[in-house]
Amino acid sequence: MTENKKTNDISRREFLKDAGLLVGGTAIGSITLLGACTEKEVVVTQTVTDMATTTVTGPATTVTSPPVTTTSPPVTVTFPPTTVTIKEDFSQTPPAKAYLVVDSGKCGGCQTCMLACSLVHEGRENTKLSRIQVIQDSYGHYPDDRKTYQCRQCVFPACVAACPTGACNVDTANGNIRTIDESKCIGCQRCVAACPYTPSRVIWNFETLKAQKCDLCANTPYWNEEGGVNGKQACVEICPQKAIQLTREQPSQVKDFGYEVLLR
Amino acid sequence: MTAGYAGKILRLDLTNQTSSIIETKDYEQYGGGHGIGSALFWDLCADKLPFDAFDPQNVVTVMASPLSGTMVPAGGSRTEVQGIGAQGYPTQWFCRSNFGGRFSGELKFAGWDGIAIEGKAENPVWINIIDDKVTFEDASSLWGTDTWATQQKIWDMVAAGKGALGDWLQTDTKLSSGRTTQKPAVLCCGPAGEAMLKELGALIHDAGYAAGQGGFGAVWGSKNLKAISVVGTGSVAIADPNALIEARLWSYNFCPAYGEPGKGFYGMAPGGNDFGAAKPIPTATSQNVGCMNCNRICHGPRTADGIGNESHCGVPLWYSYGGSPEESLLAADIVQKYGANYYPMNTAFKWLIALNEMGILGKGMQIDTELPLDLLLSGDSKFVTAYIEHLIAGKDIGLDLKDGNVSAADKWGRIEDLNSGLLSHSYWGWPEHGYDARCQVEWGYGSILGERDINEHEISFGFYLPLIFNWFFGGVPITAGECADIWSEKLVPYQGDPMMINFATDNIYSEHMVKLVAWHRHYSRFYKQGLGFCDMSWPNIVNVNAPDNIGISPEGESKFYNAVTGNNLSFADGMEIGRKIWNIDNAIWTLQGRHRDMVYMADYEYESGRGGWGAYNPFGTFYPLPTYEDGTWDFRDVAGRNIDRAKFDDFKTLYYGFEGWDVNSGWPTRATLEELDLQNVADLLEAKGKLGGA
Repeated sequence: MTENKKTNDISRREFLKDAGLLVGGTAIGSITLLGACTEKEVVVTQTVTDMATTTVTGPATTVTSPPVTTTSPPVTVTFPPTTVTIKEDFSQTPPAKAYLVVDSGKCGGCQTCMLACSLVHEGRENTKLSRIQVIQDSYGHYPDDRKTYQCRQCVFPACVAACPTGACNVDTANGNIRTIDESKCIGCQRCVAACPYTPSRVIWNFETLKAQKCDLCANTPYWNEEGGVNGKQACVEICPQKAIQLTREQPSQVKDFGYEVLLR
Repeated sequence: MTAGYAGKILRLDLTNQTSSIIETKDYEQYGGGHGIGSALFWDLCADKLPFDAFDPQNVVTVMASPLSGTMVPAGGSRTEVQGIGAQGYPTQWFCRSNFGGRFSGELKFAGWDGIAIEGKAENPVWINIIDDKVTFEDASSLWGTDTWATQQKIWDMVAAGKGALGDWLQTDTKLSSGRTTQKPAVLCCGPAGEAMLKELGALIHDAGYAAGQGGFGAVWGSKNLKAISVVGTGSVAIADPNALIEARLWSYNFCPAYGEPGKGFYGMAPGGNDFGAAKPIPTATSQNVGCMNCNRICHGPRTADGIGNESHCGVPLWYSYGGSPEESLLAADIVQKYGANYYPMNTAFKWLIALNEMGILGKGMQIDTELPLDLLLSGDSKFVTAYIEHLIAGKDIGLDLKDGNVSAADKWGRIEDLNSGLLSHSYWGWPEHGYDARCQVEWGYGSILGERDINEHEISFGFYLPLIFNWFFGGVPITAGECADIWSEKLVPYQGDPMMINFATDNIYSEHMVKLVAWHRHYSRFYKQGLGFCDMSWPNIVNVNAPDNIGISPEGESKFYNAVTGNNLSFADGMEIGRKIWNIDNAIWTLQGRHRDMVYMADYEYESGRGGWGAYNPFGTFYPLPTYEDGTWDFRDVAGRNIDRAKFDDFKTLYYGFEGWDVNSGWPTRATLEELDLQNVADLLEAKGKLGGA
């Protein structure tokens, strides 16, 4: 274990649209879930004593997750002792090198992007396991009748911050994509709840009991194409309306201004 | 279990309010959709035939396909509905309809390949399907409610306690419980169905996806079945995921660039319909929507004011009697909300106007009515509401019309109007769809040899639409001879006979046309109504967007089917399954009382020529089709000709013989049925004294 040389206190506050999660703890050693709250904000307080990657073994832990939605009940899960790798300091988290942007008003609502996403990642068709979601209302008024919800690859990734095991991480080898190493995921759903957007862009895979999120197709075991920030994304390639695009310019992080663009 | 299939079919007993499971593997040989539906109908109730549509013995199937919920372009998003339909007159044949949207996909995700509905509920019910959990729910609060309000109420009821619509909604409280952001997919009947309006009762899904023809909304009404809602969170297995996505991307080679004007009308084009209300490129006020997994996005748009949402093809256009375009869209909403099939209203309204002008129908006239015909003549959409309400209440002339237009003509002693074409119901009492049986004969022959106006455009799209949309966008990019060559190569298993698409008058009763009609029936039954390849895109034979104008069929169908299922089905294999399904359908019609002597179109098809009263033809009287005359191919106008009775009768003999059916009765024969491994069908026909002899 690397000897700790310095202490760096970070306090960040992100406002959420929906259910919140109060997380407190230290980056090294045990991580404590203080519990769910109804506040529409999240406070991530972290004491980091080393910028380097650190491996620790935590004790068996029982946690009660917050409601995934405001009306669903909490879920209690007991985890076995787990060896995890603690991630680096958030303040030094590099931004992703590419982002998905969409034109919801151009979207045709066919859900083909969702089917493509689950197909290339999971090898099966399931719109509910897609990391991009299209929600629409047949009786709505255009353009408010349809909306495409893609992962924003946030500059400050609340999902990464919330992960107790380092499973949800910044993949520096793949253009700093915010991604999930499912082998390290313990299924606590904290990243799902931490995503400040509705619906959560971190997907709960209820078949594997692991969290998953958009990796810009860096890891598509069922598609023989090179993905990631320098490759192809299934949703971009497949959209018949060309309503999804990859950009390497960091979008504005304020609301949807940067991620909802005109592609006509 | 073969990939692509969910593995089980839901069997609903409305009488006892119980559900059970039928294993799909026993029916995989029929493909999916229509094939499995016909086989299920046969197994569950064929021995009890004949009975009418409202008999509780009637089994209605609602089928997805192995392609549903997958990314096959314009494939599998159709949901096939079958059973004894209420619409036919005088005979209610075993018939079909289908609808797009997202119902079939959600059904597959819920783990079901389809639904078989039996019996009749004592009181109104709706069915709530959440994955493998199926419950019968009290529909008393929904009865009388329009289709849009019904669906929205069900959305709220299903979501109650499970999360918020628009967020992740959990199906249960476990970590392994499914989650979805999608609203339940609901199929329901409206007030027209509840009132059992035989010709108008339709089934509606979302705002504008309808199983309009067939009167299945009325059948649901007779069964006290208001709606079926489905939420699915499971997965559809894919045999070769990489092959599937690569095939989808390959199919884009047959498409024009997104939004390229004039090339989006048919085939594989993304961006959908260039004509009518549908627009491929979003405007400030509307944007099209597409069915699940479709590449065309051709369904009617949702609009800024919400008027006319999702109404498609003729629905937002049919009510054009001098009113404003907005009245036309309002009329579309009216029929969607009532769950009313607009086609019979379209022919009825033209008929009523004609009778009024003739001084026969109107206030104080021979056919006395208080209906506000002035509103109809001014194009006011309030007439549509008044008309449907009259039929629902069974008041005024609505009492005569509620069982259908031809039935009303019979009651009024005006069958002559059917003979003259004043009332344009060509086949089995069904309204014609605007594709003239006398010109485009494969449409007419296929309809009368089957059970309904087929509403299958593949031949139309192949021929005259390239010509027509090039009128709008300049230049005919392909000659009739080139068309014939391409079709000739692709009409597997009858390839190599260009005369199959020769629509010259001296060829329309020939053995070449027999083969085209047989090809069309078999293709539709397996690939379109069975696997769900959409009529708007498939087959793709001549494609002016593709290199050398050569479309994606027949290679595309097999490529997609095999990628999903892992089977190694050739296109010809699929055509043979289509032939098998067509034989089961004919066996059902035979048990219902079908005989070749009944197989004739309305008299006006033989006598009046195109352009008669009531004919709905959006392209006027000009009807260009490829013909081979005087040694040359050309697109020639064939409008104005009639069907020759004697020659059509000879055609039937040729056709029945080609299908291996009894040429005297049109009934299936044991030899043909056994060749198709349908011994059980032959046995029942024989037991009922209905087996063809030669």
